[in-house]
Amino acid sequence: MTHASVKYERMLSDLRMDLRPQREWGEGRGLFLVIGHFVVGIAAGAWLFALIFDRPAALVAAFALAALGGLAHLGFLGKPDRFWRMSMRARTSWISRGFIGLSLFLAGAALYLAPQYLPGTPWGSESLLADAGYAMALVGMVVLMGYMGFVYTSAKAIPFWNSPLHPALYVAYALRGGVAALFVTALADGGAGELPAVLLPLWGGITVLVALFFMLEIHGALTSGNEAARRSVHDLLAGRVAVYFYGGTLVLGLFVPAYLMYTGLTGPLSAGAMALLGVSSAIGDFFMKYATIRAGVRLPVWTHLTPQRR
Amino acid sequence: MRWGMVIDLKRCIACYGCQLSCKAENGTPPGVFFARLLKHEEGQFPTVRQLFLPVLCNHCEEPPCVEVCPTGASFKTEDGIVDIDPDMCVGCRSCMMACPYGNRYFNDKPQHYFPDGPTPYEERRTARHQTDVVMKCNFCRDRLAVGKEPACVANCPAVARYFGDLDDPNSEVSRLIKDRGGFPLHPELGTKPSVYYLPA
Repeated sequence: MTHASVKYERMLSDLRMDLRPQREWGEGRGLFLVIGHFVVGIAAGAWLFALIFDRPAALVAAFALAALGGLAHLGFLGKPDRFWRMSMRARTSWISRGFIGLSLFLAGAALYLAPQYLPGTPWGSESLLADAGYAMALVGMVVLMGYMGFVYTSAKAIPFWNSPLHPALYVAYALRGGVAALFVTALADGGAGELPAVLLPLWGGITVLVALFFMLEIHGALTSGNEAARRSVHDLLAGRVAVYFYGGTLVLGLFVPAYLMYTGLTGPLSAGAMALLGVSSAIGDFFMKYATIRAGVRLPVWTHLTPQRR
Repeated sequence: MRWGMVIDLKRCIACYGCQLSCKAENGTPPGVFFARLLKHEEGQFPTVRQLFLPVLCNHCEEPPCVEVCPTGASFKTEDGIVDIDPDMCVGCRSCMMACPYGNRYFNDKPQHYFPDGPTPYEERRTARHQTDVVMKCNFCRDRLAVGKEPACVANCPAVARYFGDLDDPNSEVSRLIKDRGGFPLHPELGTKPSVYYLPA
C-alpha cells in the first residue's frame, strides 16, 4: 500500500469513530505548527527576560527564534505564498492577531537590534527609530505570549483545548522558555557566573505555575469536561501520546532540570550545566505542547440528543 | 432569507445516495465528503438497533469557522450559506479545528480514485479543486443559482431531505421543524445550525 492509500484508509477509519482524533495540527506537516508555536513562545519570553536582566545575546537569540518560528509557520501553511492575507481578520481571528504580533515583533526587534550589531546602520541605538522598534517589539512580544493559547481555546471542535486556563498556560510556557533561553545564551553572554542568582528560583517558580495550570486543566477536563475531553486526558496520560508526556515532558522537561536546579541552589553550577537545564526545560515544553495538541479529540457528532424515538 | 435543510431520520434508509450524489455533483477527491452518513449501533442482542445520521456542513448562523479564519476565505452569504473562497485560503486549517461538526476537509494533494491515475471524469471534475486548501459543502450554490435543489436533496430516493427558507414560517422546512420537533446537532454550542433533524 502506498503512503497515500494508508492515509486514506486511516481517514476513513477515523470518520467511523465516535471520538475522532484530530490529525491536522501535529501530524505530518502539522508538526511545523507545533514547532512554530514552541519557538515563538520561547522568543517572546526570552525577549522579556533579556530586557529585564540586560542579556544582549538572549535578545539576538529571541529575534532569531521568532524568525525561525515564522518560517515554521510558513512551512505548515498549505499556501505559504498567500501568508500576507493572514493580517486581514484581526477583528475576530487569533491567528490573524498572532501574525500581526509576529510581524510587529520581527520588524521592531530588527529596528532595535540593527544599530547595536550592524555597523553602518543609518539610525543610531538612541534614535527615534530604534525607540519605535523597541516599542513595537514589546507589543509584539505581549501578543506572541498570549495568542497561541487563544488559538487553541477558540477551536470548538476540540473540547480538551477549550479550557479558559489554556491562554494562561501558554503565557507560563513562554515565561519558562524565556528563562531557559537565558540559561542557554549565558554561554555566549559571559558564562553562568554572570547570570543573576534570581533566575534559578524564578525558573522553579514558573515551573510550579505551569504544573499547577496543567493539573487544573486536567482536573477540569475530568470533572466537568465531556466525553471527548476525558478521552483526550486518557490519551495524554495513558494512551497514544503518553510516551511523549512521560518521557519528554516529565523526565526530560521536569525531572532533569529540577535536579540541575537543586544542584545549582545548593552549590555552584557550570555554564554547561545551566545550558543543559535550559535545553531540557525547553524540550519538556515542546513535548508538553506536542502531546497536548496530539491528544486532541474531536467532539462526537453523535450525541444522546440525536435520533430519539418519540 | 436563510437556506436550511431538514433531514427526516424516520425516512432515511441509509442508502448512501446523498453521499454519492454529492461526490458526483461536486467531484470531490478521495477523502473529502461534503455529505456523509454515520452509522451507530445501540443496545445489546437481541434488542439491537442500528441508527443512521446523515451529516453535512450545518451552515451555522453563528459559524465558528468564519470567526477563526485569518484571511476571510471562510465567509457567510446573505442567504445564510457558509462557503470558502479557495483563492483566499492559506490552508491553516483553523476552520477545521473550529467546526464542531467535523465537516471541513483539507485537500492536501492531487488524489485519484484508481492507481493508474486520474480517469477522464476526474480530470474534468476533481482536478478543478485547488489543493492545499480547505473544502466544504456549500449547499450546491451553483445549483441554487439556477433554481435547483442541492444534489443530496434532489437525489434522495426516500425523500428524507427537505430544503427551503428557514426564515419563512410557512415554508415546508419551518413547518416540519415546528410540527415534528426538529432538532439541530449540538445546540448547546450556540452555533445555530441551519440543518435540522426530525426524530426517527
